Amino acid sequence: MRILDRLWRALDDRLDLAPLVEFATHKEVPQHRRSWAYYFGGLTMFFFFVQVATGILLLLYYRPTAEAAFESVQFIVTRVPFGWLIRSVHSWSANLMILAAFAHMFSVYMMGSYARPREFTWWSGFVLLLLAMGFGFSGYLLPWNELSFFATRVGTDMVSKVPLAGEWLLKFLRGGEEVTGATLTRFFGFHVAVLPMITMALLGVHLALLQRQGMHIPEGLEEEARARKPLRFVPNFVMREGVVWLVGLAALAALAAFFPWELGVKADPFTSAPAGIKPEWYFLFMFEALKLLPAHVLGIEGELVGLGVFSLAGLVWFLVPVLDRGSQVGHRSRAFVVLGWLALAYVVSFTLLSFAGVFK
Amino acid sequence: MTSRLLAAAVVLAHVAAAALAAPPANAVRAPGKHAEDTCTACHLTLDDARLRAPAQLANSDIHHTQGITCAGCHGGDAGSEDPAVAMNAAKGFVGKFGRRAIAEMCGSCHSDPTFMLRYAPNIPTDQLAQYRTSKHGVALAKGDTNIAVCSSCHGAHGVLQVNDARSPVYPTRIVETCGHCHGDAALMARYGIKGNEIAEYKQSVHYAVLVKKNDLSAPTCKSCHGAHGATPPGVSSVSNVCGTCHPTQRERFDLSPHKDAFAALQEPACESCHSNHAILHPTDGWIGVGEKQVCGNCHSAGDAGATAASAISGALEKATATITGAQGRVDRVKRAGMLMDDADVKLEEAHQSLVVAQVEIHTVNPARVEDQTKAVLAASGAADTLAAKAEAEIRYRRTGLFISLGVIALALVALIIKIRAMER
Repeated sequence: MRILDRLWRALDDRLDLAPLVEFATHKEVPQHRRSWAYYFGGLTMFFFFVQVATGILLLLYYRPTAEAAFESVQFIVTRVPFGWLIRSVHSWSANLMILAAFAHMFSVYMMGSYARPREFTWWSGFVLLLLAMGFGFSGYLLPWNELSFFATRVGTDMVSKVPLAGEWLLKFLRGGEEVTGATLTRFFGFHVAVLPMITMALLGVHLALLQRQGMHIPEGLEEEARARKPLRFVPNFVMREGVVWLVGLAALAALAAFFPWELGVKADPFTSAPAGIKPEWYFLFMFEALKLLPAHVLGIEGELVGLGVFSLAGLVWFLVPVLDRGSQVGHRSRAFVVLGWLALAYVVSFTLLSFAGVFK
Repeated sequence: MTSRLLAAAVVLAHVAAAALAAPPANAVRAPGKHAEDTCTACHLTLDDARLRAPAQLANSDIHHTQGITCAGCHGGDAGSEDPAVAMNAAKGFVGKFGRRAIAEMCGSCHSDPTFMLRYAPNIPTDQLAQYRTSKHGVALAKGDTNIAVCSSCHGAHGVLQVNDARSPVYPTRIVETCGHCHGDAALMARYGIKGNEIAEYKQSVHYAVLVKKNDLSAPTCKSCHGAHGATPPGVSSVSNVCGTCHPTQRERFDLSPHKDAFAALQEPACESCHSNHAILHPTDGWIGVGEKQVCGNCHSAGDAGATAASAISGALEKATATITGAQGRVDRVKRAGMLMDDADVKLEEAHQSLVVAQVEIHTVNPARVEDQTKAVLAASGAADTLAAKAEAEIRYRRTGLFISLGVIALALVALIIKIRAMER
């Protein structure tokens, strides 16, 4: 213990850490009937850390070329000790991270936590979700199997519908006219360098804002929060978050061992696309809606209209802290509560219906 | 008497007209250029459907599209609009050909290598020579005009290239074309042929490959009987006919004691066990002297042949059962999420060895078959071992998971107890 004390003193002398510890020990988390929702953000971050750790391990063997990518993943899951576990955990954790992020976003929205003064936290969180989806989209292609190849072809093709810049964007994403080894190398670059760098920075901002402003107490629960004794962040909340993380870890281990992530067959650009190509589940609500649109709406290409509507909806969602004027003075407007429920119902129902095969 | 002489003279005149070395120069344009004549223009306007039909077919006819006018076969002057000139016998016009003249008329060009070279450098020019040796040609020479001539199979007008899928002699259509006559039992009875050959062929594995897999290399009537020289293969040449596509089986059969025994008994080689037209997909169950087993056609229980058959059948049964067992086990671990590429390679090896073992049956030598079934056992055994390893790996992973879950659960409980104690 004496060594630890001396180490602490040495660090504190040089870095002036005492105020930080002071802040952490005095930080409190309000308690009320909705305070369970505070754990989703931490859970998302836990899965992100798992992604970073397993991703680094996969990097030791993964080779990002069209010729070697599939074989290298095959090598990882068959020959590398515990490679099967690492790869399976990476794939499952990616999906659970997105799921936790969606749960986090909707719980924050429903509790009106985006309201002033937390606009920047909402905006940084929104961009973090987009980044997570970017991770998912770019990572999906990396094993270079048939499904991922064709799903990427369909997915990147959507970009070409963007007015004016569409063709340029398509070439930028694909590294050429078609999905090739150049696309794979590019996606690999986004997945392991560009996206992690931006995510780390933004996550730092997101967490700093959270620490700076503290937890938001939902409208109408202020009284309850005042009445109940708040939790100390360290150690009580941290330990409770630990419980949630352990449950997440157990879920990951069970999923990875009982439902190992499939590798499929190697992509062959010269074969025709297999039937029923679908993107990852978190794109399904958009994918299925785009498919339902007629070829032309009022003379404009259906997909373009769909993408326009989704972009507009995304912009509205992003600007909710500004558009919901009531929230700025502590009273959320009813319309935005209804909008939140409608959005949740749409996303959940379209995703489930797609899994049930209703849109076939 | 006079009428007979007249008929003979007409036939001779037709043959003489048809036996021209090549069509008259004015009847042929440069190859690749569509023929232009007054014949089709005029015939298209005629009321008689029989006279109109040839002109309607002219546009798709290979001869017409290659610049050969109607006069190329029928003679006359294809450039004249006056029917009296165009169809003047003095200009070599021949109306409808008698059946006996058709082969010679077609052969006047198709047997002329110099002429045919203008259209295709490697087109065969021995069709007429082959036809003359065929059952059809021989019967025609004897005066049987019910027999097939060129136009019976290729059509008279609107003749298409053999590689045109609409041609009556295209692989997928030739069976029906032959069946037009050979499926007519009453007609065939006149020639001592059963007339059920087409129906039998349609039950065969060859026909199944042709129509289900659309494999144009699958044998049809002409593959075994020849096309222009159509004739049934004799007893001694059956194995050569089948051996064209199945050389390994023929080679193994030639090594067997059956080779001499069948020859002595004047039994055809392949046909004795496999039949001729209704060639079914063979199964290992055929081997033996029991009911519906082919060895029993000549052998009976207790003789050397039956003993060999029993040994061969036993070896194959064991090999098949081993492959099936290993395949099932590999499939089960695959469903559990394991990659089994190595085992798949071994199973493929086992299947290949089994096919070789099945070919070795033709030697009727149990030792040679067993050599191959041993390879089957070794390869499927290796696949089975890999599947067993994968099963052990699955158990190891699940055990590991339960231990990890136990550790996680312990940590959870400890944490919850700690939290409770702290917040009490």
